Amino acid sequence: MSTSNQGSEVIFNNVGKMAIFKKNQTVILKNCSFTVEPGKLTVLIGPSGCGKTTIINLIAGYERPDIGRVKMDGQPITGPNWERLVVFQETALYPWLTCYENVMFGPLSRKVMTKEKAHEETLKLLAKVGLEDFRDKYPSQLSGGMQRRAELARALINQPKVMLMDEPFRGLDAMTRQLMQEYYLKLFEETDASHVFVTSELDEAIILADNLLIMTNKPSKIQKIIEVDLPRPREWSMVTSKRYLEIKAEALELLHEEAVKASTTSGKVDVDLSGLLEPVNTD
Amino acid sequence: MSDHTATIESQFWRQISRTFVNWSLFRQIMSFVLFLVLWSAIVVAVDYFQQIPTPKAVFMALFETPFKVVLVNMLKSFIRVLAGFFLGILIGFPIGVAIGYSKVAKGLIFPAFEMVRPIPPIAWIPATVLFFVHIESQIIFLTFYGAFFPVVYNTMGGISEVDIRLPRAAMSFGLNKRQMLWKVILPAAMPQIFTGMKLAMGITWILVVAAEMMANKGGMGYYVWYNHTVMDYPHVVLGMGIIGLCGAICSIGIAWVGNYFTRWQRIF
Repeated sequence: MSTSNQGSEVIFNNVGKMAIFKKNQTVILKNCSFTVEPGKLTVLIGPSGCGKTTIINLIAGYERPDIGRVKMDGQPITGPNWERLVVFQETALYPWLTCYENVMFGPLSRKVMTKEKAHEETLKLLAKVGLEDFRDKYPSQLSGGMQRRAELARALINQPKVMLMDEPFRGLDAMTRQLMQEYYLKLFEETDASHVFVTSELDEAIILADNLLIMTNKPSKIQKIIEVDLPRPREWSMVTSKRYLEIKAEALELLHEEAVKASTTSGKVDVDLSGLLEPVNTD
Repeated sequence: MSDHTATIESQFWRQISRTFVNWSLFRQIMSFVLFLVLWSAIVVAVDYFQQIPTPKAVFMALFETPFKVVLVNMLKSFIRVLAGFFLGILIGFPIGVAIGYSKVAKGLIFPAFEMVRPIPPIAWIPATVLFFVHIESQIIFLTFYGAFFPVVYNTMGGISEVDIRLPRAAMSFGLNKRQMLWKVILPAAMPQIFTGMKLAMGITWILVVAAEMMANKGGMGYYVWYNHTVMDYPHVVLGMGIIGLCGAICSIGIAWVGNYFTRWQRIF
């Protein structure tokens, strides 16, 4: 796979987003501002249900912000596009297509590749994610880890400028998860695309991230950006390094604060609109 | 010691019986045999039921009827069923897609459908005279009507229950609306669409029999009804059996086509 495409910059500028669920309005994002630096791996971590998936949907173009701007390379995002592709929680492969057909689905549908070229690229990518022997299997015949790798290949063949990873390794067992993280790190380090990775696992977040964005509870915004300056290529042995532990301690403290806040206010946060006009109290 | 030997011996015989007898198949055959025995026994033993033809009488009836008569009636019913069934798909499927795909279409069409749907299709039999002059058209209208709602509702349901991530991914890949429908939405909804067709087929057979009993225009329903009027009950039961067989053939046919189109579901 050629790596000629440059990663893009995504900017969130004071984004606000509401959701209406059974007549209850919930403010999901409020004054949410951050930048996804080109070619970097930005990890979003925060309490569950804090609107991480909403951020992914906003970047992908599935949803629009109610307030503020989401821009990619200076242009506002107006809808879904192959330049911003999502690897979803659990598998979103097309179950009626084989692994091979799934991977070539994007370029063939857009008619940007000839059949021969698509065939060639697909085989190359399947080999890269270690699925060359499984090309004619349907997704239901693949293990969880294989499905995730097939989905990575399906996205990568389109040469996206931003890859959006929405808790992609959730639900995998611990061993598979670690293997997938290693695979993913290798893939990331070989491409120039910008990546946004959502997770609720701190170790996964730190080992992957260039920038670690810690989110607050709903209404969410970015509480703190930690620059993870561990050298690349990353390896799991780094989890014992001094710098890693410093970063982890700092992140844990911030996440713990949010968790405590969530446990004292949760249940109300979803339905109570009063007080949301002011910034969340931090004591 | 002797206990131990006994265990080994019984294991040996179990192994032998498993090797030479397919017990699962045996039980399935026994199910048929028991059914026929029970049927005969009730007819023979209970005075009250002695008018009921025995399995043997029904079987013999098969050779008394000219084969051609049965075949012609079967063919008539089949044509009516298939005509109604395919009309139901031809008209019901696009409407189901429209309702499932578009909020506007759903708002305009769905409430009226919900009003008409609870009326059992058989209740329509007298009213069909108002719509069609020819009896043949009346019967085909009824079979069409029976197929229509299951097709519409299951197509609609299949489409509206597609996992949102599948079309979302397709939007990102840059599919246009037509590709979205043909390459993503319909394949994803296919299992439920075929569920609807299976239901539709069952209902068309119910309706064709009911309509033919009223219509005096041939068909297996007429065959059963006619033999009832001349009190030839072995032929009534034979006719019933043939109707059941026809229905089974049709549902096997659909299941076969459906399995082909949703074969990815059955591979593990």
